[in-house]
Amino acid sequence: MLLERIDYARPDTLDGALAALASAPNARPLAGGQSLVNALKLRAASVALLVDIGRLEELRGIHMASDGSISIGAATTYHELESSTELRAAQPAVAEVASHLVDRQVRSRGTIGGNCCYADPTNNFPPLLVALGARFTVVGPDGERSVAADDFFLGQFSTAVGRGELLQSIEVPALGAGTGVGYASLRLGEDSWALARAAAMVRGRERIEAARVVVACAGPRPARQREVERRLAGTPASGALEGALDAVGEELDPVSDVHASAAYRLEMARVMVRRAVQQAIAERRAA
Amino acid sequence: VNGDPVHVIELMVNDERVGRRVEARQLAVHFLRDELGLRGTHIGCDTGSCGACTVLVDGQPTKSCMMLAPQLDGCEVETIERVAGPDGELDPLQRAFTAEHAVQCGYCTPGMVMSARALLAEKRTPSDHEIRRAIKGNICRCTGYVNIVRAIRAAAEDA
Repeated sequence: MLLERIDYARPDTLDGALAALASAPNARPLAGGQSLVNALKLRAASVALLVDIGRLEELRGIHMASDGSISIGAATTYHELESSTELRAAQPAVAEVASHLVDRQVRSRGTIGGNCCYADPTNNFPPLLVALGARFTVVGPDGERSVAADDFFLGQFSTAVGRGELLQSIEVPALGAGTGVGYASLRLGEDSWALARAAAMVRGRERIEAARVVVACAGPRPARQREVERRLAGTPASGALEGALDAVGEELDPVSDVHASAAYRLEMARVMVRRAVQQAIAERRAA
Repeated sequence: VNGDPVHVIELMVNDERVGRRVEARQLAVHFLRDELGLRGTHIGCDTGSCGACTVLVDGQPTKSCMMLAPQLDGCEVETIERVAGPDGELDPLQRAFTAEHAVQCGYCTPGMVMSARALLAEKRTPSDHEIRRAIKGNICRCTGYVNIVRAIRAAAEDA
């Protein structure tokens, strides 16, 4: 046996899942399990009761609203995201990131909600969803609340989802005309984890009107680069970006390990920001 | 006996209905191998890294060491034992693996075949890049990838 003794429940409803989470002091949700099951094998996590939320209808599916915004159920798998033509049209970066996660088997089971709630600093979706200005619907015994992406990721393995709560869905606002998204990673190998990563959203035509720029893999949580964003605003879209990109560095605290030094990671974070911003500018949508 | 929580699961495995009592902490791969005797599904790493334990769950390629047995309840599972015909006649993919010598030690082969089977069910004529991406989660430590890719391509062309 690899796992410690554990109990398992698979309630049929969201309310049932919340009740199950409240029923034991050390109950935890299980979605795709592609990180949690390994944590349990390594006994890095001690859990008395796993509440399987992977099949809950209330947590599944991709729904487009009339204003073009998209609501993604937390238990929607990476493969469902990469296969959705609706999502690929409305939010191509979300579908594209999903299609390059780990490997095909992990994409069968891994979920966007799990990716966000696990909040490993190297995870793919957190910086993208911060750049896109997504909102997170969190449900718990006291009802439902909506949390902005900027306030959702609190630190390494830490989010705004409290004990006994569940992430229900992620709302991604529509990409308006003149808006483009970029995403760049320095990966160790194809579809592997990354040493540096950045995501950017840019709006504007001749001049950049507004930008959201986020760095990941270089600190405990996705780091908005607000000074970069301020400097980008007003810059000609076809102009040099160096003046703005010099400001990369806010909230960054990369580690040194066998793969790379902190200094290298920081330098690569700058490169990823440049690539993400350039891609966002290049992919701005026509009216 | 040891006081573990036990769950009753019912599922389809290789087109046969199966009902069992399982411990909550049992991995799906151990259930398939030890409870059902389907030892064609291999265990390479226990950590979701190698893909030797790949099976199809509701048609989706899945590392069975990354699932718990109770999660299989209500699912349709297909293992390597289901790929050949009932009379033992090899499937075109298995014939291509043989013809292209896509097997060295053979340990990774069941997982490779299941990943390839999932790919060919989704894409009739995958590119070499798509084939390589489809088996990215399957490690061949003999590094026999060239022949494996060739076999999958041959099976696709054959179909």
